[in-house]
Amino acid sequence: MSEIEAYRQKARAWLQSVAPTYGRDALQGLSEAEHLAAGRAYQRAKFAAGFAGIHWDPELGGQGLTPLHKVVFEQEEMGFGMPIAYFGVSLGISVPIVLRFAQDRAWARERAIAALSGDEIWCQLFSEPSGGSDLAGLRTKVETEGNGWKLNGQKLWTTFAQHSDYGVIIARNDPKALKHKGLTFFWLDMKAQGVTVRPIKLAAAGHDHVNEVFFDDVRLDDGQRLSPVGGGFATAMATLMIERYSASDPAGFGPTTATFVELAKASEVNGRPAIQDGRIRSAIARSHAMRMGLEAITTRAMRMMAAGMEPGPEGSLNKLVSVRSRQKLSELAIDLMGQLGLAWDPLASSKDDWVASWLAAPTGRIAGGADEMLLNTIAEKILGLPQDHRPDKGVPFDQIPA
Amino acid sequence: MSIVYDEQQEAIARESRRVLYARADKARLLDLLERTGAWDRTFWDTAVEQGWTALAVPEAQGGLGLGLIELGLVAQASGAATAGAPFLTSNYGVVRALQAADAELQALWLPRLATGEVVGAVAFAEGNAILPAPPAVTFADGRLNGHKPGVTAGLVADIAVVWAEHAGEPALVLAELAAVSRQPIDSFDNGRLFADLAFVDAPATLLLSGEAARFAALDLLACQAVVTAHEQVGGAEALLFVARDYANERKAFGQPIGAFQSVKHRLAELYGLVEIARANAIHAAALEGQPGFLAAAAAARLSATKAYDTAARDAVQVHGGIGTTWEGGLHLHMRRARSLAIEQGNMLFWEDLLVDELAGAGA
Repeated sequence: MSEIEAYRQKARAWLQSVAPTYGRDALQGLSEAEHLAAGRAYQRAKFAAGFAGIHWDPELGGQGLTPLHKVVFEQEEMGFGMPIAYFGVSLGISVPIVLRFAQDRAWARERAIAALSGDEIWCQLFSEPSGGSDLAGLRTKVETEGNGWKLNGQKLWTTFAQHSDYGVIIARNDPKALKHKGLTFFWLDMKAQGVTVRPIKLAAAGHDHVNEVFFDDVRLDDGQRLSPVGGGFATAMATLMIERYSASDPAGFGPTTATFVELAKASEVNGRPAIQDGRIRSAIARSHAMRMGLEAITTRAMRMMAAGMEPGPEGSLNKLVSVRSRQKLSELAIDLMGQLGLAWDPLASSKDDWVASWLAAPTGRIAGGADEMLLNTIAEKILGLPQDHRPDKGVPFDQIPA
Repeated sequence: MSIVYDEQQEAIARESRRVLYARADKARLLDLLERTGAWDRTFWDTAVEQGWTALAVPEAQGGLGLGLIELGLVAQASGAATAGAPFLTSNYGVVRALQAADAELQALWLPRLATGEVVGAVAFAEGNAILPAPPAVTFADGRLNGHKPGVTAGLVADIAVVWAEHAGEPALVLAELAAVSRQPIDSFDNGRLFADLAFVDAPATLLLSGEAARFAALDLLACQAVVTAHEQVGGAEALLFVARDYANERKAFGQPIGAFQSVKHRLAELYGLVEIARANAIHAAALEGQPGFLAAAAAARLSATKAYDTAARDAVQVHGGIGTTWEGGLHLHMRRARSLAIEQGNMLFWEDLLVDELAGAGA
């Protein structure tokens, strides 16, 4: 057995041992506060067992293993429904970027260990009302004040800002500079004077996870700056490269093909078994063929990583292809259920429940790169096609028509 | 299972691409389309010279003892070039079927299949069914009788593995075609040498019968589907690149048409289909002879057919008017996409087969 396979089994054994405490069934019916507490406790247990910061430097509380070990653990973890959502951005994006760029190393190390053990949570303050896909369209303003800075404006769609102790933020320091040039990157105390967080209720229920965040003369020390003045966009782009390798789900974080097959076996269409209906069979076959392909892409990427090679760019297809396919399959599942599909449990999981999966699917197609942005990225970066026509290029930000 | 190609496999991929690219001749392929019964001898000579015919034949019988992965790589290169006499795939099918034959029969045919001296065909389909149950062609007392329509390579093959009925059970038999009457089909993809075969007391040898025959027939179809999936991926990828290059070069409204999202996104979607099909094809090839092979082959077949058909459709669309001309030659791929979509069983067959694998055949 390979070392990686042994690691996988060790991870699985540990996950099975804690699943009765933190797994899907144990979380049923918990209030928001209880669910968050369970999340923190699970993260603490992971840290104690050596499954937090798997590919991080041991100096920073990590385990010093490879990204492959991390992906293997995530793959195993995915099936248990553990309360991991609170730490995705925190440990996947914000803390690593702080570790890379923070000026005070000892402080950064303290934060890393507090985050790995579930005591502190970090958010990432990027999107705004005027800039989501077009990140550099952001308008939150940061101005020098004394020997520090003053922050004013608004962020939007900030994941778990309401539970966060800290955040990383990109803001505009110079509206007269070119759009991508006048931006600077900081870290921020979310409990500081002048920060207001308001959760946003989404159409797909469950506990709130995104927020709008307002800044009213929030004071920042220059030591909180993580990029050169005006060099924030490059730092923001660097955050996108940190989590290149993470576990993907060919089912698009919705129910599996096997779940759909079970539904079809239990249903009828016009008095005949649904599993014998050509339309249903075609949907199953095509969806499964696509998902097997995504899975094979991931497996091959992992083998390449294990061999010390760089996986190909095709891994970027995962989210694009899997989530919209899940959306359609969820619609078809509700069709199959007919009147029985009208019921809605706001706390049901997208991984098990077709209605929850269908309602939450649009978020998956927009958050973390809208489908259209991903298609553009594939076209430009992989296929070498030209950029779109960009009237904002080479124009000072304050002269771009709003 | 899914693999990362080793050095030898990378070399096969590189060399087959190089040779076929160097010998590509669009005019020759276009000419073949208008002639029934002619085939791409240049390709076959290349296949023999490069040892591709011997790739998947056991070493003891004069072959190289490699398998689906390596054959798939050659098929991918030949798909990209719309090269290909059809025999690379069907010869492999015959080699597979001969694994069930006795030593004498193996010694008679395998070495000559390896040298490319003998061409094999696989004659399973009847009507529009790729694997009819029961087959109408019958085998008794060493003789084969009945009719097999649209056999790929049927016009020139020396031997064929035939799906037939024998004593009330399905059977796989090996037939010599020397005296069998063949009616060529004037086809939209003439280089495939499609022919209707009429067996009248044709001499044949029983390979397998009953459930074992059905199982072997499905396995053989799955193997051929995986080779074909690689060929389809090669074709689809070639079309993706041709369309991409054209979109970068052709200007309209003052910019390359590839700067318009309607074109960019079409090509990005196509990239997705090609990569999913490629991953499935590699995965299936590496799973040969192991549990889950049939489902993996079905997934490879479905995604590769979708990728190649879509590529043919979209590459022509991106080219606009020029894409519809005879000389432009994109129709070589369009035709091949459809002939390959039919040859190893259509989408409807493979969808059903995959669902049977997932849900149980009784469902």
